[in-house]
Amino acid sequence: MGYRIEGISASYGGLPVLDAFSLSMRSESVTVVLGPSGCGKTTLLNVIAGIKAPDSGLREGFEDCRFSYAFQEDRLLPWLSARENLAYALSGALDREAALERVDRFLEVASLSAFAASRPRELSGGMRQRLSLARAFAYPSELLLLDEAFKAVDLRAKMDLMDAFLALMREERRTVVCVTHDIEEAVYLADEVLVLSDRPARVVDGFAVEVPRSERGLGSKATMEAESRLYRLALGI
Amino acid sequence: MTDSTARTNKARSGGGKRMLAAAAAILIALAAWKAGASAVGKEIILPSPERVLAEAIALFPTPRFLSALWATFLRGLAAFGLSALLGAAAGFASGTWPLVGAALAPIMTAIRATPVLALVLIALLWFPSGFVPIFSAFLMAFPVMATSAAEGAKAADPRLLEMSELFRVPRREVFLRVRLPAAAPHLLAGSKSALGLTWKVVVAGEILSQPRMALGTGMQESRVLLESAGIFAWALAAIILCGATEWLLGKASEKAAIRGL
Repeated sequence: MGYRIEGISASYGGLPVLDAFSLSMRSESVTVVLGPSGCGKTTLLNVIAGIKAPDSGLREGFEDCRFSYAFQEDRLLPWLSARENLAYALSGALDREAALERVDRFLEVASLSAFAASRPRELSGGMRQRLSLARAFAYPSELLLLDEAFKAVDLRAKMDLMDAFLALMREERRTVVCVTHDIEEAVYLADEVLVLSDRPARVVDGFAVEVPRSERGLGSKATMEAESRLYRLALGI
Repeated sequence: MTDSTARTNKARSGGGKRMLAAAAAILIALAAWKAGASAVGKEIILPSPERVLAEAIALFPTPRFLSALWATFLRGLAAFGLSALLGAAAGFASGTWPLVGAALAPIMTAIRATPVLALVLIALLWFPSGFVPIFSAFLMAFPVMATSAAEGAKAADPRLLEMSELFRVPRREVFLRVRLPAAAPHLLAGSKSALGLTWKVVVAGEILSQPRMALGTGMQESRVLLESAGIFAWALAAIILCGATEWLLGKASEKAAIRGL
């Protein structure tokens, strides 16, 4: 089973943002959509989630589909503890007891159990983003949408965050669509990468990243080759 | 010394300085009052502070005063409670739904523009004397509370509201966990203003409506008997009542802030 959008065009106030855009997402795989800033990546996520109605095109496989999100900024409630923040997001999906049980499990996978009672202001930027990722995974969704979720932290925190993402994926596999403009991030996380053009966005090219996850690391030859291929595609050379 | 200990000590020293400044201001005001009373030289026009103090010491323990104080306190509490509850509800509704805001706007403007005494005189035609101050104070404080609540309703972070919508969080939870905490500072500021206004209008209403037991009635009786020191003593009781309730509200706000509401 998978999800598909076909020939989607979307615009804001007459300005075309997506142009005959097609995308297939394999179930339980990570599709990374790589594109320059402002090309329409967030609009694409909004169309996938059904928040933005396209001008034309088809959405298939999304019937009764639940979505969860991780945003560029953490979007945590500052007056609630880490645990209560996750329980809040789950309050419409599960009863309180089941929600807390699930929250505790995902806090542990994200290495945040020791900070369950901490408020967001007591956590570092990287920890807050990790909490936001844990919230997206704890929410019982079929499709997980990441909107530049690894952008707002420093390099070390970003590596930790991406490892936390992979740990969460191992805990409970999801179909993931991740939009980013970061090539290293794309190669580290993706099963498949799609490269977008400038606005109005359309798919320029794409390929499956066949490097085993265990070999995707800083300086590995296979990773550098995949990154080099992506740089050429992104720059059109 | 840890950071938190240093912060606590700094806060204490700041609090001590503020107390000293307040005490100095009171002493200066008392000195000016004393000087003014001496210059006038007529107790019936401006009684001296010590004369008012003696009057207050004699008046405060009497059953008549205590009954009046209790009755005024209950009236103030009722008026404030009503204006806080209904004002917050109306304000939240108008802040959340622009159409409700547009419908309420002319009513709020009319209430704000109505002079307190005109309101009291109209209320005298409609209600028994004990209820007139409650009605008048409620109407005066209601727009203050509603305006603050409307601002509070708009204070919720739209990104948190969007996140809640995407995770399909029930409306009740969104209200309790996002909208209400975001509105809390506005609601508390509104409550403080509404409370001060409530005491002023309650006492003014009592002076005109003359319920059997009331601080305002005590003031009016002293005026009829030309007991200026008595008027000052009754007014002092109203000031203490207002100050004490504002202090209690401030303490409650601090506790709510510590709990992160």
